[in-house]
Amino acid sequence: MIGRLWHWGWGLVRDIWFVLRRPSVHFSLGFLTIGGFLAGIVFWGGFNTALEVTNTERFCISCHEMRDNVYEELKTTIHFTNRSGVRATCPDCHVPHNWTDKIARKMQASKEVWGKIFGTISTRDKFLDKRRELAEHEWARLKANDSLECRNCHDFEYMDFTRQNARAAEAHSTYLAAGEKTCIDCHKGIAHQLPDMQGVPGWDAVHSFYMEVPNNSAGDRLQRLARALRETPPANASTMSD
Amino acid sequence: MSRLRGFSPILAAGLLAAAIPLIGGIALIGIAAAQEVAVSDLRDGVPPTEEAAPPPIFNEINDDKRRARNYPEQPPVIPHNIRDYPITLNANKCLTCHTREFTAQSQAPMISITHFMDRDSQILATVTPRRYFCTQCHVTQADAPDLVENQFMPIEEILRAFREQDGEEPNP
Amino acid sequence: MPESGSLKLTRRQVIKAKAAAIAAGVAGIPVAEAANGIIPGDEARLDWSKAPCRFCGTGCGVMVAVRDNRVVATHGDIHAEVNRGLNCVKGYFLSKIMYGADRLTQPLLRMKDGKYAKDGEFTPVTWEQAFDEMAVQWKRVLKEKGPTAVGMFGSGQWTVWEGYAALKLMKAGFRSNNIDPNARHCMASAVGGFMRTFGMDEPMGCYDDIEVADAFVLWGSNMAEMHPILWTRVADRRLSAAHVKVCVMSTFEHRSFDLADIPMVFAPQTDLAILNFIAHHIISTNRVNRAFVDAHTSFRRGATDIGYGLRPEHPREAAAANADKANDSEPMTFEEFAAFVAEYDVDKVAELSGVPKERLIELAELYADPGIKVVSFWTMGFNQHTRGVWANNMIYNIHLLTGKIAEPGNSPFSLTGQPSACGTAREVGTFSHRLPADMVVTNPEHRKHAEEIWQVPAGTIPEKPGYHAVLQNRMLKDGKLNAYWVQVNNNMQAGPNMNEEGWPGYRNPDNFIVVSDAYPTVTALAADLILPTAMWVEKEGAYGNAERRTHFWHQLVTAPGESRSDLWQIMEFSTRFTMEDVWPADFLDANPAFKGKSLFDVLFGNGSVNKYPVSDIEEGYANHESEYFGFYVQKGLFEEYAGFGRGHAHDLAPFDTYHQVRGLRWPVVDGKETRWRYREGYDPYVEAGRSVQFYGYKDKRALIFALPYEPAAESPDAEYDMWLSTGRVLEHWHSGSMTRRVPELNRAVPNALCYMHPDDAKARNVRRGEEVRVISRRGEIRVRVETRGRNKPPRGLVFVPWFDEGRLINKVTLDATDPISKQTDFKKCAVRIEKVTS
Repeated sequence: MIGRLWHWGWGLVRDIWFVLRRPSVHFSLGFLTIGGFLAGIVFWGGFNTALEVTNTERFCISCHEMRDNVYEELKTTIHFTNRSGVRATCPDCHVPHNWTDKIARKMQASKEVWGKIFGTISTRDKFLDKRRELAEHEWARLKANDSLECRNCHDFEYMDFTRQNARAAEAHSTYLAAGEKTCIDCHKGIAHQLPDMQGVPGWDAVHSFYMEVPNNSAGDRLQRLARALRETPPANASTMSD
Repeated sequence: MSRLRGFSPILAAGLLAAAIPLIGGIALIGIAAAQEVAVSDLRDGVPPTEEAAPPPIFNEINDDKRRARNYPEQPPVIPHNIRDYPITLNANKCLTCHTREFTAQSQAPMISITHFMDRDSQILATVTPRRYFCTQCHVTQADAPDLVENQFMPIEEILRAFREQDGEEPNP
Repeated sequence: MPESGSLKLTRRQVIKAKAAAIAAGVAGIPVAEAANGIIPGDEARLDWSKAPCRFCGTGCGVMVAVRDNRVVATHGDIHAEVNRGLNCVKGYFLSKIMYGADRLTQPLLRMKDGKYAKDGEFTPVTWEQAFDEMAVQWKRVLKEKGPTAVGMFGSGQWTVWEGYAALKLMKAGFRSNNIDPNARHCMASAVGGFMRTFGMDEPMGCYDDIEVADAFVLWGSNMAEMHPILWTRVADRRLSAAHVKVCVMSTFEHRSFDLADIPMVFAPQTDLAILNFIAHHIISTNRVNRAFVDAHTSFRRGATDIGYGLRPEHPREAAAANADKANDSEPMTFEEFAAFVAEYDVDKVAELSGVPKERLIELAELYADPGIKVVSFWTMGFNQHTRGVWANNMIYNIHLLTGKIAEPGNSPFSLTGQPSACGTAREVGTFSHRLPADMVVTNPEHRKHAEEIWQVPAGTIPEKPGYHAVLQNRMLKDGKLNAYWVQVNNNMQAGPNMNEEGWPGYRNPDNFIVVSDAYPTVTALAADLILPTAMWVEKEGAYGNAERRTHFWHQLVTAPGESRSDLWQIMEFSTRFTMEDVWPADFLDANPAFKGKSLFDVLFGNGSVNKYPVSDIEEGYANHESEYFGFYVQKGLFEEYAGFGRGHAHDLAPFDTYHQVRGLRWPVVDGKETRWRYREGYDPYVEAGRSVQFYGYKDKRALIFALPYEPAAESPDAEYDMWLSTGRVLEHWHSGSMTRRVPELNRAVPNALCYMHPDDAKARNVRRGEEVRVISRRGEIRVRVETRGRNKPPRGLVFVPWFDEGRLINKVTLDATDPISKQTDFKKCAVRIEKVTS
């Protein structure tokens, strides 16, 4: 059975190849060259157009998962509405702008199509359960490419520190300038709500500490204190009397 | 209903008389004539039955400058914008700068030692969960004008007042 | 005594003069002469005393520092059980609330040509002149129309003795039941719920429930903003114990959602259906605590189609079948109840409420699972509801069905809005139908008991309930209530439907309106006579918070100018009347001993109120009223009042005790407070061996009510296509008359905004910061749009806070009330939003 199928398939390829390698009898070389070129344009253009359609916000929010969750959250943020009206659309941040990376990202996106079909995040609760994982993908990607999609608009080269507030100017002129930090290191959750940040560097000093503790009895507090003293440099160990 | 004249913005001659430096936007205007209307309102003199254009939405002050507190127990106000700063079950943006561990990097003021104390006044390793929601006590300040001057006097001004008074000492 | 040193009052004049000089601008002078910046110890001393916070019903304890008759600092009292050292931002700024430059310091009467005129100008007068005019007006009205034409509107911010004195003045003195507090807008449905289900008012649990609960459910309560310190305790519990769950329910997303494990935005009014679904879920999954239910409850079927508390001629009211018997009910069986709620299955309720099924089940399980200790919190989302009493009854249903009640961690907990909504309005009973200690004027036994304690003749207290809050405004407008005194509240700004009822009522030429306030509020400016009033620590006071905690404070500073406390005003006003002025001749003929007496003597000089000498006042504290009247006024009033509740499960401790402690939760029996009522081992009123007794009713059973979902009084339609909900914000207290005068709080939230969904804004071609009109059938306001603020309404709903005097949203609201509790639904009416284009 398999052998027969292979035989049939191979025969088909051989026939096509045979046709293709024969010189043209009816059409001129010029026609074929120009026609081929034009066909190429049409084909390539079609491909790119189709690709670009998937690169619009309209396409993104045609799925309710995007419309009701991440897009809904985006609406109130500074990346949606701000002083100058320059706004980020979904692909501005989430689709690489150069062609190779874009195609790579699109191939990854096939998994999202799968998720759509099988309803992986079809409800708000399912989405919330997945949010940390989804966010981590994006943080990792932006960390790896040095926040390329941020920098497409926010180019360090052209930042005027005198127009930034003191805190921002300080951070940008040191950590960002020296390359110690990239945008996404500090600017998480700027366009969508954050997942549980337990364990995320820079965020969990306080948070995870309490979240794991089952009870707040004196014994538990002692345990917690002991663990904290192990994990962090001892803070002021004295107790304050009232 | 005829418009009530009582709503015209006039200050009582006798109202905390001598010195009330009035601040812009307040509907209080001194008037010499005694026995006259004596009250202000916070409607800029617009009668309650009428509608005036609302003031604009004021911007949050974002200059990062510390403000003097009225007394040491007062929580400091937030001198910067906190738009889109989450303080949720998932994340607390304020603590990414103000928690002890991160202050060297952020150069932000550290949350005070009281913020480490639980209900029983025991000092925990880090911020106590009862203080987790920062904005219950710390608020941003808009660049809005004061509606009415506040004549609260910090303790130093009271002490100063006595020293000014003929060298009289404050009561022991 | 203040905690460090005694309070000296000798230098008031100096400091007053200096206050003005300082304000005039001598800033910049070095603080101290000592070069090292240290002020010598003696000079740096502050006098610290305890007081409850002036604002919400949480009842936090604060410490107040006084120096030379000025409050110079405040902070959270570390010894106060409620808050253990914390305050919210309002509480931390208490020091400044008394020092707004426009404090009222002398009485102001509308005058023209040297005498009172309704259309006159406010003119400063003496207290003599003020009370003279007031007495003339009261006597005129009493003579012309009798006691039903005089009235008083008070407050859950009255101190206990102010409320008690006002109640006596009205019900025993003027023989009028037309006294109601603004707590009617706030707590009446909670009271109705308690009285219907338990036959006794106020929560069985206390705040200590928070530290032992496994789950919290907020039903129409934004505790993060409205009860911030309780929220710190909930947050503490939630973040300290991983298994704890928080469910937050509202008709729009707000700050409390930040802590929510189970967030839930439901369609307005469908909370009723969700409550019945939970009852159904408990029954259908066989998790009813039958032993508890059989021993401690019985079932009732409540009257339905009960109307909306509108004027009788309103079409919606006329169409209601049972508007006149809204409070009726008849017995039913458990099986009948089960069948009644079976209609509310998850499919139906999910569709009605817009909440996903999984969420509804998750919520229901918090109640159904016998292993979870659950606290339900609610405030105005339930109480300001045209079915508010029902909602209260229905939350008790689910706690009673599961037996999750009256024990640590299992607690249906009705939060209060005002500092003494419980202590004064409810316990003293300053409602048009009530008397102290849960008694009512309609009950002859209760009237008799009150008349005995008050030493007034049988038949003094009228049987018919007086005008409640909303009805008072209607009666003012209709000219049936003509002499009217408002204390400690701002009802022109706070009451519903200002355009059609409140304003025309106050400005009706037939009426004489008196408003006592510290600041020139909208209400004060709508009055004919304004009385300048002492506030907070300018007088000795007592408040009672939501967990039955009675908390005292001393007078710490003197009130500015000629301002006087509400208590002084009430008592001093009563000296203007003889009994012949207030009681009819035949009534006096039948009780000749009262002839020739003054009203003051009958009410306050009765041997009971004036029993305690001024020397009983704790050393180091001033007390203006007592110094003026010559006896310890507060102690006498409190002890007489406490006589109502002692031995009747409302026991209060002796007066002096309360000045020494950070409040006690009643009943206080043998010096011990009660944390959980109705539960043996905690509540001394439960008989030994009975474990639980709901002793509010004679059979000691609580009632489970079968009540349906019914629609709101006014829902959006084609013309008015949005829901309007109103409410508070964290940084301002109620109408903002105190907090807006604190610059830091004003700058935190300068103006009220119209919070709406960005899509709704876009559909109306408006964006953040642009001006719109919020228009209802009753009125409109102009306000700016906020699409990304702390409140995030769903499409189809807008939220406008009411603290802003410049944006009087109650021009727009509907004066529909719960027909049983008479409490207004400020959370639901229909509006449309139009862009203002100039």
